This record gives sequence, C-alpha cells and structure tokens, in this order.
Amino acid sequence: MKILTTVKKVVDVELNIKVENGAIVEDGLQYVMNAWDENAVEASVQLQEHYGSETTLVSIGAGEDNDKIIRKGFAMGIAKGIQIDDSSLARADSFIFARVLQKVYEKGNYDLVITGKQAQDTDNGQTGIILAEYLGLPCVSNVVSIETLDERHIRVTRLGDTGKEILELELPAVVTVSDSINVPRLPAMRGIMMAKKKSIEVMDLNALGTSVDEVGSAAPRSEIVEYMTSKTRQAGKKFEGDVAEITSRVVYLLANEARVL
Amino acid sequence: MAKVLVVADIRQGELKSSTAELLSKARAIGAQTAVVAIGADIESLIPALVNAGSDIQYIADDPGLELFSASSYTSCVVDAARQFGANLIWFGFSESGKAVAPRVATRLDASCATDITDIILSGDKVEVIRPATANKVVQRVVVNAERLVAVVRAGAFEAKAVAGTLNVVRLSPPARDLKAVIKQIVSDASGDIDLADAKIVVSVGRGAKDEAGVDLIRELANDLKAGFGSSRAMVDAGFMAHNKQVGQTGKIVAPDLYMAIGISGAIQHLAGMNGSKVILAVNKDPEAPIFNVADYGIVGDLFEVVPILRREIKKIRG
Ligand SMILES: Cc1cc2nc3c(=O)[nH]c(=O)nc-3n(C[C@H](O)[C@H](O)[C@H](O)COP(=O)(O)OP(=O)(O)OC[C@H]3O[C@@H](n4cnc5c(N)ncnc54)[C@H](O)[C@@H]3O)c2cc1C
Ligand SMILES: Nc1ncnc2c1ncn2[C@@H]1O[C@H](COP(=O)(O)O)[C@@H](O)[C@H]1O
Repeated sequence: MKILTTVKKVVDVELNIKVENGAIVEDGLQYVMNAWDENAVEASVQLQEHYGSETTLVSIGAGEDNDKIIRKGFAMGIAKGIQIDDSSLARADSFIFARVLQKVYEKGNYDLVITGKQAQDTDNGQTGIILAEYLGLPCVSNVVSIETLDERHIRVTRLGDTGKEILELELPAVVTVSDSINVPRLPAMRGIMMAKKKSIEVMDLNALGTSVDEVGSAAPRSEIVEYMTSKTRQAGKKFEGDVAEITSRVVYLLANEARVL
Repeated sequence: MAKVLVVADIRQGELKSSTAELLSKARAIGAQTAVVAIGADIESLIPALVNAGSDIQYIADDPGLELFSASSYTSCVVDAARQFGANLIWFGFSESGKAVAPRVATRLDASCATDITDIILSGDKVEVIRPATANKVVQRVVVNAERLVAVVRAGAFEAKAVAGTLNVVRLSPPARDLKAVIKQIVSDASGDIDLADAKIVVSVGRGAKDEAGVDLIRELANDLKAGFGSSRAMVDAGFMAHNKQVGQTGKIVAPDLYMAIGISGAIQHLAGMNGSKVILAVNKDPEAPIFNVADYGIVGDLFEVVPILRREIKKIRG
C-alpha cells in the first residue's frame, strides 16, 4: 500500500501572537509541524511498520522551517519527501492547496492519503475533504483508528456527533485524522541523523506539471483581508484562603454580581 | 437578494437550537430562508422547522438516511441548494456539518468558511468573521466566490421567535455510498444535556484524578442541570466520553457560566470555552493558567471545594 501524508508548517500556537495594523507580526514567531499532521505521520509510519506500506510525505511551503518539518517526518520514519515551493501559493486558500495536492497524488499512484483533520494556523478543517472531492475518492474525517482489512479495503472509526462511527472504505481513499488517533513518537537520535542526509524532491508548480491558472492560485475563493486580536479575557477575582469562606463568597458573587446562578 | 439555506441539525430525532438561531440571523439580514432536513422518520419535525423561521422546507426522509453518511448528506444539501438557488448555505456547529460543508462547497464552486462567529453583507459583498489559530487571532475574510458555505460557531447568533411559512418540498433519496459504507454507530449519547445547548457547563480535568472525583463533579453538574464536559486528559484516561471533550478538537461552547474544575487551562482547552460569558475556575495551583481567563477563581483542593460549592448553591437555588 502506498501512503501519501500531507504535512503543513504552522506558527507555534503556544507562543504569543501579536497583531498590528491588521496583520500578524512576524517578529518572534516560530514554526513547527502542524500537531494534527504529526498524528497523520504517526498513523502512516505505523501502517508502514505493520503492513510494509510505502510512505511519502508532501508539504506545500517555503523556507528553512519547512525543510525542518519535512526532516522531522523522516526522523519519525517517513520514507520519501516532496516539497512544493511556489511563490504564487503564498495567499492560497484550501481549494488551491487541495488542487496542488491533487496534482501530487496523480503523479504517484497512491492507495491512501492521510491528512491532519485541521491546520493549527487556519483552523479550517477543509483541505483533505476537498482533495477527496477533487479526486472523486471516498473520504472520512476526524478519524481515530485505521485498520487494514485486505489489499483494497480499510476499516476506520470516526468521532461523530452521537458516537463512534465505524466505516469500511474502498481504496484509494482519503482520511483526515484526529489527535485522539495516536501519540506521535519522539524521533530517536539515529532517525534524526539519518533524516539530515535524506534528499527532498522540491518542485514548483511548473515542475509538478501544472500552472497558476490550473490550480487557481491567482483567484482564491476567499481572502483574509484583516487580522484582529481576539478579545482577551482579563483575569478576574481569585480567592485564596479558608476554603469554606471563599467558596461561599464566590457562590454569592456568581448569583448576585455575575447573575449566572 | 440573499437566499439562505440552513441545514437543520437533527440529533436523535430532535431539532437542535442552532437551526432557529441561523434562520433568525438569515431573517435579520433580510434574506429569503429555506431549511433542509435530512434523516429517517423526520416528518414530525416539519412544524418545528416552520416555527424556527423557514419559508421552504426541503425534506429528505428515507430509511437509508438514518445513519450519518457524509456523501449522502452532501447530495441532499446540494440538491436543496440548487433547487432553492441558495447563495448562502449555513450549518450549525457539528461534526457532521464540518464533514459535509467542504464537500458541498466543492460541488457548488462555493467558498467555505468554518467556525464563523459573524457574517456581514453589504451590497453584493459577503464577509465573515472567524477566530483562528487556537482563538489567538480573529480573521476578517472576504468571499470572492458567488456562493458561501459556512459552519457557524455555537452561540454566535440568537434565536428570535419568528415563525416562517409551511411549504414542503420533498427530495428524492440520494444514491448510497458504496465506497464508504457506514457499518455501525457506537453511541455515546447518554441522554445527558448537550454541551452546545447548556446554559451552564461544568467540566472536569485531570485534577479529579479518578472515577470518584469524576462522580463528585458530575453531581455538581446534575444539581445545576448543567452540561457535563471534560478536558482531553480525562477523555484520554477513559473517564469521559469523547463527545464531552471541550476544546479545539472537541466542542466549542459559550454558556453563561463555565466551571473548570481541576483543569490547568492549556491553550487547546481555552479555545473551546473562552467565549463563555462567565468562567469559574477551581484549581489547587494558584499559578494555573486557567486563572488568567477566569472571572472568578477558587484556589483550593477540588475534593474540599466541590462539596461546599454544592451546598452553597443549593442554599441559594433551593
Ligand atoms: C493538537 C492538540 C489538540 C488538543 N485538543 C484539546 C482539546 O480539545 N481539549 C482539551 O482539553 N485539551 C486538548 N489538548 C490537550 C491540552 O494541551 C492539555 O494537555 C489538556 O487540556 C490538559 O488537561 P487537564 O487540564 O485536565 O490536565 P492537566 O494539564 O494535567 O491539569 C490538571 C490541573 O488540575 C490541578 N489539580 C490537580 N489536583 C487538584 C486538586 N485536588 N484540586 C484542584 N486542582 C487540582 C492541577 O493544578 C492542574 O492545573 C490538545 C492538545 C493538542 C496537542
Ligand atoms: N500547505 C500545505 N501543505 C501540506 N498539507 C497541507 C497544507 N495545507 C493544509 N494541508 C493539510 O490539510 C490539513 C487541513 O488543513 P486546513 O484545511 O487548513 O485546516 C492539514 O492538517 C494538512 O494535513
């Protein structure tokens, strides 16, 4: 089974993010592998270990940090890496990313695509599902387990609105994974050393056999025109001391000051 | 003229409050309204769909639609959207909405925005407001496409009781998806109050330690007729069901009162609850980050605090 795993470079959400004049201040930001893509990588590597699947990772992005996250994928056990680096994609929306991923897929004859359920920067949760639509493949999102049934079928569990939904999928297929699917491994030293020497296949749209027109990167369906700071909450009244006394005081305030009891 | 198609959120045969909220917003912006309801045995919901404020009800009622299937549901929504000529298609916040919205958008050449908190129409221009990056920033997004499919955050719009008119259009059942076959749903809906609808949500974190701790806090939730939520730590540890998880990967809630008991306040948890009107935190660590967002904080051992909380609340609520 050939697996394609998608991995995005995202801003580290644990750090402070400043907004000025409608834009995010680049200074002081750090970039990491999207957390849900770490789960996608882990799921792919586990399939590789158990069933001898062949794993390839693709990341659309630029810069040194992007190189770093692809190498992190190698260190976790991914066999091959593809990077799509094209300046026309700087303001791409999910539909454009999905078109580019479609082109990558079509070059490779894959059986299964595993994406993260969501990117931590956009919080969109769309790209994998749109990719499946473009490819005309079955797709299950928010997946928490993947089992292979035979050469052509997998069984997946997704977290739905009323419980765990168990589905059987005909391959090729696309799944988007939840963070509940696994705990991503920490790369071992040997893996990290080996990852440094691996080569990454870097392509622009042209080399990928497509164009700005075909992927639509000149005309996104939507554009972020402004960033604003989110309403930050102020720390309120914190009580320490005699537990009985402060608890009764807080209940009084909830009822009479906040009026929510 | 704007034409809004709202996708009814039906769970266990009941219409969720988001349907009326979205239809109210649609009426408030002067749009024509329609609703699409998908499921098995849903005839009886038609009056509720009218009361929620829809002027056309597209009904896809078929035994094959009993279990959620993203592709069948997509076909129904696309069918209704085409018949109605909708330019705005709105889902309430749900896992099925999040799965179906991008599919519908792709098929209708629409733009897709998830997790929106507001939508602004001026002339032909459509803009949405949405928090992103774990709630750390807010985006203003301009829609260039002719149509927009949006998933709206819980609590973004208020329901106003304005009834619509009865005008039922039946949809033919979609073809079954043979490539992604739903085999079974292992239900974890235990009949308790849904987090998204609750006025008060009480959530338990790792500080509760074990089953006994969880039970203690559940009692508090029961006293208050509150939704009973959880941090991921307690879901991972197997004490709480997945659908109780509050946070970036779980439910996003915005109740009048959110009680975080034994929860540290990791950014992924905050992303699910920091839109709440009032937050109460109980934590034994005075430095716990949850206190940075809490309106009221009690520093103390939850095993001591919660019984007193229950007693004091009973006193004032009777
Ligand atoms: C991609 C990703 C997505 C995630 N999504 C979510 C999500 O949706 N929701 C979510 O919740 N988390 C999510 N997480 C996990 C999150 O980062 C935290 O690990 C998690 O929220 C911690 O849960 P907790 O606060 O219960 O546990 P802890 O962080 O361990 O905190 C326990 C708290 O209890 C306090 N405590 C201990 N004993 C007592 C006592 N006796 N009395 C009072 N207080 C006590 C401690 O002081 C501590 O503050 C996600 C993480 C990642 C990477
Ligand atoms: N630029 C990108 N390169 C590679 N994968 C991506 C990219 N953007 C999105 N994805 C994948 O799509 C998932 C969902 O992204 P999003 O729709 O932005 O929330 C991510 O978890 C990634 O796996």
